[in-house]
Amino acid sequence: MLRGLLAFLLAGLACAAPVAAQTFPELSGRVTDDANIVPPDAEARLTQKLAALEEQSQRQLVVATVPDLQGYDIADYGYRLGREWGIGDDERNDGAILLVAPNERKVRIEVGYGLEPVLTDGMSWLIIDRDIVPRFRDGDMPGGIEAGVDAIVEQLLLPPDEAQRIAAQADEASQEDIPWGLVIFLLLVFFFFVLPIILAVARGGKSRRYGGRRSSPIVWMPGGFSGGSSSSSSWGGFSGGGGSFGGGGASGGW
Amino acid sequence: MIPEGLARIGRFAFAALAAASLAACGINSVPTAEEAAKARWADVQAAFQERANLVPNLAEVARSAAEQERETLTEVVEARSRATSIQINAEDLGDPAKMQQYAAAQSQLSQGLGRLLANFERYPELKSITNYQMLQSQLEGSENKIRIAIRDYNETVRDYNTRVRTFPEMIGAMIRGAEPLVPYQAVTPGAEVAPDLQGKL
Repeated sequence: MLRGLLAFLLAGLACAAPVAAQTFPELSGRVTDDANIVPPDAEARLTQKLAALEEQSQRQLVVATVPDLQGYDIADYGYRLGREWGIGDDERNDGAILLVAPNERKVRIEVGYGLEPVLTDGMSWLIIDRDIVPRFRDGDMPGGIEAGVDAIVEQLLLPPDEAQRIAAQADEASQEDIPWGLVIFLLLVFFFFVLPIILAVARGGKSRRYGGRRSSPIVWMPGGFSGGSSSSSSWGGFSGGGGSFGGGGASGGW
Repeated sequence: MIPEGLARIGRFAFAALAAASLAACGINSVPTAEEAAKARWADVQAAFQERANLVPNLAEVARSAAEQERETLTEVVEARSRATSIQINAEDLGDPAKMQQYAAAQSQLSQGLGRLLANFERYPELKSITNYQMLQSQLEGSENKIRIAIRDYNETVRDYNTRVRTFPEMIGAMIRGAEPLVPYQAVTPGAEVAPDLQGKL
């Protein structure tokens, strides 16, 4: 009986174990050069541009090069990679990836849900066709990537006034992140538990003959509350904000 | 005094236990999963709509460049209007017949578009038009989004149906009268018939 139960549980565990899924490169920075085709100086320039873009518009653009697509179509690989890394904000979904697979000779601009109206499929295709592929064809990989990033950044940069408004909003949001659920809960606890106890104690102060029944208020902290939305860590490392992708963008080959 | 206190604690414990077991029975998680599936369905319809919106542009570009394809083009435009006339409300997601009808109309449009694009390969002057190339990439992009939206929708439906059909969440589902939803299955007309290879080998 017990053994049967154990076997059952084990079988359950086995089922729950994830199927050997696609593996993705580690997100090592705004330029994740797994295929090793971007020289250090170009990488530094790119990183600077991409950081400046996020500074101005809060939008995340990442350059990724991969040694192989593991047999997937680049469009399939791209959106999964974007979801895995969570590029872009988790509410605005405003991330984009310039994905290059030099060995398959494929390139793709993967666009997050929120940026699809800004960086449209047609626009992405034009950038690939005009700025990236001609340089890749000549064997100039870093040049093609830089030209592509420049064109995408130009499309993603906001007009200055809008950029200011969004930056101000972001500041406000990070300051006024009041967990209303927790506040209401604490108020309820106060009015229905703490206050009655205090009142009872105050009233019972005169008649102490019940003796020692001064119960201390029970402090019961909820465990289920979590602090707001996750945001990208601002010290040192780079990480996505949880943005999602739905297949926007365009692919090309050379 | 003490028995009364105990009884109160007992009552409280019972209430807490009932709440906890109700939660485990899917009284909340089943509707949550259902809402998730409905939201993903909205994505599917939006993706199909995006493709449908591209058809007039395609017709515009192709009309002058490929006179001989007028017939195929008309076919595609008709398939488009049929496909856009069928919409499925979130309430009808459990209706297999409606779902099949929708999928059939969409796949007819897919086929028409595929045939048209294949025929266009014969027109070098059309293929060299930047607008046409861009349209082609946009169509490709919309097919890509459709595929992903369907995959996401089917995944949420699978999750929801599993909840509705397995213990203990099926209890909550029964209390609420939740019905299983229908996953999207792309219909390829004639897929059930083995291809006739006679004379082709």
